[in-house]
Amino acid sequence: MDFINSIYSIFQTHGIEFLKATLITIELTVVSLLIAVVIGLIFAFFKVSNITILQKIADLYIFLVRGMPLIVQLMFLYYGISSVLVLSDFTAGALALGIHSGAYIAEIFRGSIQSIDRGQMEAARSLGMPYSLSMRRIILPQAFKRAIPSLSNQFIIGLKDSSLVAYIAVTELFNHALSAQAENYMPFETYFVVGMYYLILVLIFTLIFNKLEKKLDVSKSRGGSGFDQSKKLMQNV
Amino acid sequence: MDLIKVRNLCKTFDNLEVLRDISIEINKSEVVVLIGASGSGKSTLLRCLNFLEIKDSGEIEINQKVIDVNKSDLNKVREDMGMVFQHFNLFPHMTVLANVIEAPVHIKKKKNQEAINKAMELLHKVGLADKAHYYPEQLSGGQKQRVAIARALAMEPSVMLFDEPTSALDPELVGEVLETMKNLAKDGMTMVIVTHEMGFAREVADRVIMLADGKIIEEGPPTIFFTEPKEERTRRFLQQVL
Repeated sequence: MDFINSIYSIFQTHGIEFLKATLITIELTVVSLLIAVVIGLIFAFFKVSNITILQKIADLYIFLVRGMPLIVQLMFLYYGISSVLVLSDFTAGALALGIHSGAYIAEIFRGSIQSIDRGQMEAARSLGMPYSLSMRRIILPQAFKRAIPSLSNQFIIGLKDSSLVAYIAVTELFNHALSAQAENYMPFETYFVVGMYYLILVLIFTLIFNKLEKKLDVSKSRGGSGFDQSKKLMQNV
Repeated sequence: MDLIKVRNLCKTFDNLEVLRDISIEINKSEVVVLIGASGSGKSTLLRCLNFLEIKDSGEIEINQKVIDVNKSDLNKVREDMGMVFQHFNLFPHMTVLANVIEAPVHIKKKKNQEAINKAMELLHKVGLADKAHYYPEQLSGGQKQRVAIARALAMEPSVMLFDEPTSALDPELVGEVLETMKNLAKDGMTMVIVTHEMGFAREVADRVIMLADGKIIEEGPPTIFFTEPKEERTRRFLQQVL
């Protein structure tokens, strides 16, 4: 009973604060993942290109990011970036998280681009489509669909990793938990509550991605759903 | 008039000589069938014609113009040469109609309505107008290949290249694809076809070319080629496949 009472009191005193902090966590996650997707796409293109120097650059970037703990990179980038540029803690944190996730997302995109049958690119090129148009219209839509399960996994990791920016003074969810437990001397209960917040966030992320995956999966479509695409074409005239 | 002229074409893959000193000329409206055992280089030759494989040496002339790999716009060259693949290579994320209008809309900058009209006309020609709104995976192999033919025709090419178009099909589906190709030949399309369908070659080809070890070893009109081949290797090959 004691435990439940403590939980309840934490909700009463910190509930609203935690909710606000949750919004910052969401913001941080979304911004950093957007940065990561852009970086990931660029480096994935580097890796599938035929240009050795670009491949080497991508390899180096991925090697550096994968080879060091996130917290080390975070501190390194935070102090590195903020010694050159005046950035808010939030921006520095989002940038650092984005650069980190970007390496993993680059590998996810590279894998999914390379998993598309060679014949697809050949068919597009044989019709006279230039490389970049073939990539954009033919390869990427298929590769993106195939990347979604791994991407959603990486996004969830990104969401949880965002807790580490608490240590560079970004007042997101975990940062609030740190200060709350220092005030109320109930670390176990406080972290329990914060854990619940993260669980719910991850649950929401997962649901969104499952929906997206289903929506993009034309192979599951039965009978007439191809009509939607064709109808859209017809309406665009 | 020569639509395609190949002179002394050579191609190697990792020290393996796939094509050795190939020279051919293909006239407008001619139907040329390339035959030969697997590994003889016939598919590579076909792929060199639209630069999906880049030759090592030799000269390729298309429509009286020598194509320089580094200077010519290969996309423009390919626009004018339709290609049909063994494994169809339809775009799975697009409906049949979207597959067919993709290149005309995005490369030739045709208006959607114009492209759709043309596409429906072509789908009608290959007997698949009623499948326009289906996804490729909802079609049989033969239907997929006919869509692929329509997709290539939508760019209004002056040559059609066929790379073993029926090899991946169940036997009962081969006929419908060959029928479509026969109609194309009748319409006067210039065609270069790699195939193992000897009956089709005999009936439709103007000229049959036999390749072995990357070289042309015999060529001639099908009536002579199939009844009295000159070369021993041709005779042996025909015995095996007929």
